[in-house]
Amino acid sequence: MKIVHVVGARPNFMKIAPVMKAIEAAGFAEQRLVHTGQHYDASMSDVFFTDLGLPRPDIFLGVGSGSHAEQTAKVLIGFEKVCLEEKPDLVVVAGDVNSTLAAALVAAKLLIPVAHVEAGLRSRDMTMPEEVNRILVDRISDLLLTPSPDADANLLAEGTPPERIHLVGNVMIDSLFSHLQRARSLEVPEKMGLDPNSYAVLTLHRASNVDDRATLEGLLGAIERLQQHLPLVFPIHPRTRKQVDAFGLTGRVKAMENVTLCEPLGYLEFLGLTSQAKLVLTDSGGLQEETTALGIPCLTLRENTERPVTVTEGTNTVVGTDPETIVREAEAALAGKGKAGRTPKLWDGKASERIAEVIRRFASDRGLV
Amino acid sequence: MKIVHVVGARPNFMKVAPLMAAIERAGFAEQLLVHTGQHYDAQMSDVFFEELGLRRPDVFLGVGGGTPTEQTAQAMLGFEKVLREHRPDLVVVVGDVTSTIAAALAATQQHVRVAHVEAGLRSGDMTMPEEINRVLTDRISDLLLTPSEDASDNLRREGIPEERIHLVGNIMIDTLLACLPRARKRGTVAKMGLEPRRYAVMTVHRAANVDDEATLTRLVEALERVQERLPVVFPAHPRTARQLQAFGLDGRVDAMPGVRRVEPQGYLEMIDLVAHAAVVLTDSGGLQEETTALGVPCLTLRNETERPITVSEGTNEVVGTEPKRIRTAVDDVLAGRAKHGRCPALWDGRTSERISDLFRSQIRITLPYFAAGIRV
Repeated sequence: MKIVHVVGARPNFMKIAPVMKAIEAAGFAEQRLVHTGQHYDASMSDVFFTDLGLPRPDIFLGVGSGSHAEQTAKVLIGFEKVCLEEKPDLVVVAGDVNSTLAAALVAAKLLIPVAHVEAGLRSRDMTMPEEVNRILVDRISDLLLTPSPDADANLLAEGTPPERIHLVGNVMIDSLFSHLQRARSLEVPEKMGLDPNSYAVLTLHRASNVDDRATLEGLLGAIERLQQHLPLVFPIHPRTRKQVDAFGLTGRVKAMENVTLCEPLGYLEFLGLTSQAKLVLTDSGGLQEETTALGIPCLTLRENTERPVTVTEGTNTVVGTDPETIVREAEAALAGKGKAGRTPKLWDGKASERIAEVIRRFASDRGLV
Repeated sequence: MKIVHVVGARPNFMKVAPLMAAIERAGFAEQLLVHTGQHYDAQMSDVFFEELGLRRPDVFLGVGGGTPTEQTAQAMLGFEKVLREHRPDLVVVVGDVTSTIAAALAATQQHVRVAHVEAGLRSGDMTMPEEINRVLTDRISDLLLTPSEDASDNLRREGIPEERIHLVGNIMIDTLLACLPRARKRGTVAKMGLEPRRYAVMTVHRAANVDDEATLTRLVEALERVQERLPVVFPAHPRTARQLQAFGLDGRVDAMPGVRRVEPQGYLEMIDLVAHAAVVLTDSGGLQEETTALGVPCLTLRNETERPITVSEGTNEVVGTEPKRIRTAVDDVLAGRAKHGRCPALWDGRTSERISDLFRSQIRITLPYFAAGIRV
């Protein structure tokens, strides 16, 4: 059988890498990797391929930046050509970016089965483009590969036939466990002049946090106060940098003495950094999961999370974007009152093997292997 | 309040026309009509606008041609520009065509509220592009306007919050009832030399029926058998005409003495033909509903229907694509054994008023949703 995997943006890579490896190891399918080019920044993509040991993409669509409609439309057109040419038996998409939706839609219309890695997540906030993408992709996917039981429950509540839902665990954690040792050996904090377990890491990139001036200013105000307690590393996403500039806040960020501002890091470097942090503040979905797996307190700078298991079982606290709350919760975490948390079930580094097995069974039921 | 309505293909027009008229009468909103151009055949579109009293589109996106996916992409690109320029408070999409999902998705991405007219229909067959369009559009629409209780139930089963679901009735029937007197005056039946209740009308256009050679051949054979019993008017959809030619079935259809192969008809001509037919054979969703409203027996040339109320209450029977079964069904109808249906609740010609009232009430209730540009 032939499987086409689709990646478009940074968070997709660490989900697809272990899946491709596991299918390769199982040896039942020919695989192709399509990179839509939705994240075109070399520092975000090339390094990732190298770090994750992901094969170079066989096909690069080069859709680049643009509005939501522009990105979706370009992937629709480009990926349809890929499908007509490659005639895959299965298309594997991951996560919740515009490329995920566009690729799934193309496949569904061409009657090619779709597998969705990280299915069933719901923030219940339809103003998040990611939420729209998730919900639509799940409606048209044939194999819904979920990371935790809450995701299964979400899908069942939407009337999804149970036979499509497969609880496989969190595939991101596969990547994390297999790279952790190497990441730590890079001595990233030391090279930044920081002592392990004595600094915080901040990431921000969501539209709702960085596109609105008042919200972004509030967040930076909280950071200003927090960096008086401990050093803080802030790898700045291109979109965030653009908005900080646009709102004339660059000077204010640079004036924060205890903040180390840097470019987005490669996967290994970033893992090296976060895995030895005392505290993580983020609006990223992936980091909420990684900190839970690593047992590091995480403050989520959003009003909701589509990954509630990181709160109910893990180290995550959803604190919103109010500066007072952020500072208070951060101080509590630093005083050792952070959540202890444990690693959720099936976040064991073997999710990709389970995915390979689900796909193999699906294919064998259809006489494809 | 500013409302943008989107049409793309033939079946959309008769759903939007009465709604725009009702909102116009109620006078609470500024309206804009966008035609994506998905059906670009002038004969199918221009005539329609005139006959339905629908105003010329304010914006024409011209997406015609290409694969359905390419059309989706083009419609999204074009419609996003419309949204940026006109900043509507609400986008109204109808039905289940490519333009429906493209416009709904572009609007959702821009945080503009979406109302879906004819929400909740389900065939249960995800290999139909229309089913994918329906399911996805319903998932992202804020106001789901359903034609019948079964449609509302489908949405509930999919976990759609109750407050989004509004049973308003079948808006196509508004158009049908409003146009029927004018349609009769056209005298289309007489002009074709046909006698009322002594002929059949057959239409096919769905991908599953016309893109597959074996299926289309079976349907041509069915047409052959039916025309042995009574004259059959056969308006060929452009796609069907193309496929008949591609599969070399053209000559066979043309050789059938009982078949009147005609160009796609204008709306008024079509409803006059349907209203006076002995039986209608079709894979069209709209015709299943119109025949139920008119009390004309309908045989649906598919294996399922997303409009089950036309079967449980109306005159519709789902017969599939086997020639023998189709002919037997026609024989039964002509022998007086047709189903005696009744018109479902809220298929009363007042659906567009109910939708208009709902939009107006939504402005008051959910003011934050319509935060920008309120003019009421």
